[in-house]
Amino acid sequence: MTDRNTSAENAIEARELTKRFRAVTAVDSQTFTVPRGEVFGLIGPDGAGKSTLIRMLTTVLVPTSGDALIFGKSVVSQSHDIKPRIGYMSQAFSLYGDLTVRENLDFFAELRGVPRHAMEERAKRLLEFSGLTEFAKRQAQFLSGGMKQKLALAATLISEPDLLFLDEPTTGVDPVSRREFWRIISDLHRQGITVFVATPYMDEAERCNEIAFMTQGKIILRDTPAGVKRSVPGHVFEVAVSDYRRAMALVRSLTFVNSVDASGDLLRVLVGPSVDEAGAERELRSSLTGAGFIVDHVRPAATDLEMAFATLVPETHITTAGDQAEVVPQ
Amino acid sequence: MSWRRIRLLIWKEFIEISRDRAMLPILIILPIIQLLLFGYVVGSSVKNINLEVLDQDHTVQSRLVTEAFTSSGYFRVAARPTSEKAMENDIDGNNAGAALIIPKGFGQLVGQRRPSQLSIIVDGSDSQTGQLASAYGAQIVQSVSSEFYGAGPIAPGSTPAVGINARTRVLFNPTLRAVNTMVPALLAFIILMSATNLMSQAIVKERERGTLEQLFVTPIGRTDYLVGKIAPYFLLGTMQVVVVFIVGVLWFQVPFSGSFLVIGVGLLLFMLCSLGVGMLLSLLSRTRQQAQQTSVFLQMPQMMLSGFMFPLAALPTWLYALTFVIPLRYIIVIVRSNFLKGSSFNSLWPQFTALAALSLVIFVFALSRFQKRLAD
Repeated sequence: MTDRNTSAENAIEARELTKRFRAVTAVDSQTFTVPRGEVFGLIGPDGAGKSTLIRMLTTVLVPTSGDALIFGKSVVSQSHDIKPRIGYMSQAFSLYGDLTVRENLDFFAELRGVPRHAMEERAKRLLEFSGLTEFAKRQAQFLSGGMKQKLALAATLISEPDLLFLDEPTTGVDPVSRREFWRIISDLHRQGITVFVATPYMDEAERCNEIAFMTQGKIILRDTPAGVKRSVPGHVFEVAVSDYRRAMALVRSLTFVNSVDASGDLLRVLVGPSVDEAGAERELRSSLTGAGFIVDHVRPAATDLEMAFATLVPETHITTAGDQAEVVPQ
Repeated sequence: MSWRRIRLLIWKEFIEISRDRAMLPILIILPIIQLLLFGYVVGSSVKNINLEVLDQDHTVQSRLVTEAFTSSGYFRVAARPTSEKAMENDIDGNNAGAALIIPKGFGQLVGQRRPSQLSIIVDGSDSQTGQLASAYGAQIVQSVSSEFYGAGPIAPGSTPAVGINARTRVLFNPTLRAVNTMVPALLAFIILMSATNLMSQAIVKERERGTLEQLFVTPIGRTDYLVGKIAPYFLLGTMQVVVVFIVGVLWFQVPFSGSFLVIGVGLLLFMLCSLGVGMLLSLLSRTRQQAQQTSVFLQMPQMMLSGFMFPLAALPTWLYALTFVIPLRYIIVIVRSNFLKGSSFNSLWPQFTALAALSLVIFVFALSRFQKRLAD
């Protein structure tokens, strides 16, 4: 903690980091950096290698080749210097279910050498912070999914790490708890803690300073959420129409439309860059009314990440095979 | 190594064990059931074996022999058939467990102090009872013979009973109480059952629950982890041994003539072996269930091939060769002979050496797997 501002600028520096499991290359020679103080989001389909990447960065797994520096220390040769400075929340609930909430906190505090005098105060603060104060004496296995995750986070925070790794921390957690969880992460971010988080949720990715899209062991896209959305070619419209299911099929068949999906009973339509915005809006409206649909409105909308990746990734995916450097916007 | 962390791990392990419903039965109910089973079911001495007496001699001496059998309490005369054929039928029909045949002329030979013969026939279909019956029979014949002929040896080659292994000498367990041989062996067997079993759960459980991975990102060292993991099960195993010992001596009244040092060192070595095996299972298994099943699966052959329940001498050669790698085999000899006969290190050194070597091999192997396996 003392050298938070003195050593390297980057919290993470991966250099050709690779992990192979027999024939499968889970992480394929990845080189990237994560600056200090950032909330860095890692997204990608299941099996993309996200967890393996995190497990190497947290010194749990030894890389097959390459290395990564965490605050300037090698995960291969200096893991002892790294461990005290990082916190890691793995995908599955990984605390002792038979122990109570408070016992779990005490256990990890002792293990990480938190001084006794600081422990009481920290445990109290973290319990409050995570809303678990009244459950302090409950066995961890009897907590709800959201509370379990908050406890796991509290347990990783008890040693006040400078860098936090979260592997899909809110999977299987209800929306309210998810929002609360991210409020906590925002607080940590304000305190200057670097957060590296893997998530399958686009709304969570939206909250990161930077996001990286990983597939088949490679990060193929990296940018700010706004940057990712900007790079989507064309225009997005929100369409409110009667019988949106049938309308969706019609819209999809239009030649200038790239993709359609439904969000609630609204259609989100991505129109290719060949048509200008006003023209596309007119065309959409007339095609729908012409086919007998009652159109409530067609209005330009912002791209969301989900749509952005849906359009960006299949393309990049095909072109990645050859040269990766061209694809990753740095 | 950090004593603070080790103590913490031990504390954590004990809390977990005390709250884990799957562990408690293994820990408490298992040794109790074992004691009862082995103490009462297996250990109970056979009494009142039904005996057929075919007395073809009808002399004072033949009647004395019959009386000696019935007054021992082990036998009771079920029938007095008149022919060998009738006698065999009774044994076939399970009406008798043993038969005594006193041939014609027996009394006359005894009177002339010349070698005489008695036949004892034992129903071998129930080997446990059969063994006991033949041993009891031999003992009775022995004492009758010394009564008839005097204590010292008579004419050369004059063994009173022929045909059956009547020469079996029962030295240290004259009452042949099976429980006396069972309880000492149980001291070792309980370690095998629970130390291996519990230890086999310990690491795989943490892996399954993801806590192992969590421990990895803490500054805890491998030695700390290992010591913190083994110590609780070592303590529990010791506790169970003490319980078995106390119940054995006080409740089942097994006479203890050994030394705590000899038995202690032996059991310590065996404990290391068992914990090592448990740790290996825990490291090699993917799930708790798999570890549990493997551990149970391994118990059966050890029980059969260690002399715990069945004498090793009865095994075919190739199976007998296999027994040399079973640690239980050595510790059973150590506890039994020290417990009952007070045998010392001097006479037990081959067993101690073998046990120490096996412990070392198993433990070193487990440690090497531990180093490797935790990483993936």
